[in-house]
Amino acid sequence: MGHVIVVDLGFGDAGKGTVVDHLCRTAALRAGGRPPTSNKVTAVVRFNGGAQAAHNVVAPDGRHHTFAQFGSGTFTPGVRTHLSRFMLVDPLALAAEAEHLRALGVPDPLGRLTVDGEALLTTPYHRAANRARESARGAARHGSCGMGIGETASYALAHDDAPRAGDCLSPARLRRRLAAVRDWYRAAFPGGEDVPDAGACAEAFTAFAERVRIVGPGHLPALLRTGNVVFEGAQGVLLDEWHGFHPYTTWSTTTFANAETLLAEAGASAARLGVLRAYATRHGPGPFVTEDPALTADLPDRHNGTGRWQGAFRVGHLDAVALRYALEVTGGVDGLAVTHLDVAGARPDLRVCHSYEMDGERVGRLETGPPDLDRQAALTRRLLTARPVYAPLGRPVETIEAALGAPVVLRSHGPASTDKRSDHFWTPIDLSVR
Amino acid sequence: MGSGNWSTDVYAAHASYRASTGASAFAYSDGGATAVHPDLDPRGVTARESRDSADHPESLAIGVLFDVTGSMGTVPRTLQAKLPDLLGLLLRKGYVEHPHILFGAVGDATCDRAPLQVGQFEADNRMDDDLGKILLEGGGGGQMRESYELAMYFMARHTSIDCFDKRGKRGYLFMIGDELAYPKAKRREIAAVIGGEPDEDVPIAELVRELQRRYDVYFIIPEGAYHAGNRELKDFWQGLLGQNVLYLDDLDAVCETIALTVGLAEDAIDLGEGLEHLAEAGSDAGASVSRALARLDAARAPVAVSSTPPGLDASGPTATTRL
Repeated sequence: MGHVIVVDLGFGDAGKGTVVDHLCRTAALRAGGRPPTSNKVTAVVRFNGGAQAAHNVVAPDGRHHTFAQFGSGTFTPGVRTHLSRFMLVDPLALAAEAEHLRALGVPDPLGRLTVDGEALLTTPYHRAANRARESARGAARHGSCGMGIGETASYALAHDDAPRAGDCLSPARLRRRLAAVRDWYRAAFPGGEDVPDAGACAEAFTAFAERVRIVGPGHLPALLRTGNVVFEGAQGVLLDEWHGFHPYTTWSTTTFANAETLLAEAGASAARLGVLRAYATRHGPGPFVTEDPALTADLPDRHNGTGRWQGAFRVGHLDAVALRYALEVTGGVDGLAVTHLDVAGARPDLRVCHSYEMDGERVGRLETGPPDLDRQAALTRRLLTARPVYAPLGRPVETIEAALGAPVVLRSHGPASTDKRSDHFWTPIDLSVR
Repeated sequence: MGSGNWSTDVYAAHASYRASTGASAFAYSDGGATAVHPDLDPRGVTARESRDSADHPESLAIGVLFDVTGSMGTVPRTLQAKLPDLLGLLLRKGYVEHPHILFGAVGDATCDRAPLQVGQFEADNRMDDDLGKILLEGGGGGQMRESYELAMYFMARHTSIDCFDKRGKRGYLFMIGDELAYPKAKRREIAAVIGGEPDEDVPIAELVRELQRRYDVYFIIPEGAYHAGNRELKDFWQGLLGQNVLYLDDLDAVCETIALTVGLAEDAIDLGEGLEHLAEAGSDAGASVSRALARLDAARAPVAVSSTPPGLDASGPTATTRL
């Protein structure tokens, strides 16, 4: 099937996990028997975000795991995970996630993981700083997950000695760098929560490096040559650090850009798959034009409750304006994967928003441009007053194809891989041979 | 948009990493298994196949079988940990475009629970899973023989490889161990371990001839192993395979040794280039690989354990010997 990049076109939670699981699983099925090879997926590569990602996968036998740092293809034997240099790696959360996978019967998850030595490390100090800063914002919270992702990214911008995965192979340097982060946290947030000392943290991180293979820049190009690779994005395009609705964004490039960079360095290319739900959701605060409290009440999400740091899970109608904006800022997709079609089928009252009433006029397209947070903040203020103009959703797949001008290549009707249906001609496997 | 699902307690993480160390690639064996994993059981297997496909139009079969008995000490575990990197090494510099790698393990049919374990030819990291399923024998007899002849019988008569069948191109077979084979593959043992029954026992020399028609066959003797310095061992394998007996003084370099051997045989590189590639990739295996392969190169000279070719100190690869 070739390499595929999977990106969420909304605010996250559209179902990247289940789509990635499906791609890995069905490719394995198609390649079943002998000869080996051809369509099999060798590895899932993460190219943005960190341990705050929450990609839910339900195996056909009912096992459920919320993938955070491991690739969502991990239930399929043989599929590895590579954390690229764009990932913010949290060795502490990683240990707990590996434990859970092991408990579910996944043999040796850590043995199937590689980490680029350049990847930044998220520490308990970043996490504590994140929580202290978000608490200080009071009602103006950004909807952070409290996992220290933004603090990890911003600390690295200001400090050349920010700890990276490769440092775990040099205990003395690691300890020095961790102590610097701890000192920074203590100075910036004197009233912040207690944190472990740098020595204890360094010991845990060293144990991480002894157990997980830390690799150089040559690893990914080699991986891309050994078989098909699925690039699994985190969060969603509408939360992108530059194109999201500032300041309700994540400190991460959520578009195809990072994956494209890694592929270009390796002289490879991939099909671009955009994931969306048949309706819209947003977890946490920020503009959400098509939000409908009745849907929020009726369509609770099994795996997304109200988070202490994130806030409520909100539900609304399909927002073609926002999705077209997402497609425009990402440069478009080769195909779409639409999830939650079972829900859409059971709710004939779902609608689609083709334009907004905004500033006294009807708007069907949102302005895009090069990175400019002032422009994004102004857009956010306008969106907070925008009203949706609705039409009935009708047949969701046809409506989505018409509204977004891209083919739906994968339809999902439930949480498990067996609930997925590939389209007649546009199977995901065909993505690269168009 | 996400969550903090997993514990970030520093002490719990530390304990978890420590607890999982070493349990990794050996889950099947360490899980208390006492029988060959069904996926690796040769019994009743018609043929392990390496087939050309749309993605791999010119497959090249490479078999790697290693001794898992007690005399090898910790060698099998090191091999199990190192061999997953083999595929990447072969591909990275284009030594082989479409390798299909099969892993297997050799024991002793006279006394072992797992006299022979053979995975599938795989073109991707799924071969790791085969490695993880290999049962490691703890004991081992004192007779200094293992049933390599059964492994050779299987590879000779129960593999089907397109590289040879379709294109007349021989595959590669590497065996890694420190003992002799039994002189014949016995009918009774073939019937019990593999199934089917030839009319009579098959002498090992005949198996080697059959094998060499379709495979370049190498035997690697790790110098850390128990019998490695034994003269009889060297004479035995050299008698069968001639120059294709390699002595490896650092088992960590096993993947590099195999990769460069294939690269050399495929005419993709000369030894100097191969060693440069290793240095480029940050591998410190160059010196050991160079010693192992320089001996292969110097086949006309008597093999001597301690001879380090001039200019090949630990300082790194400098040899440019052309095979």
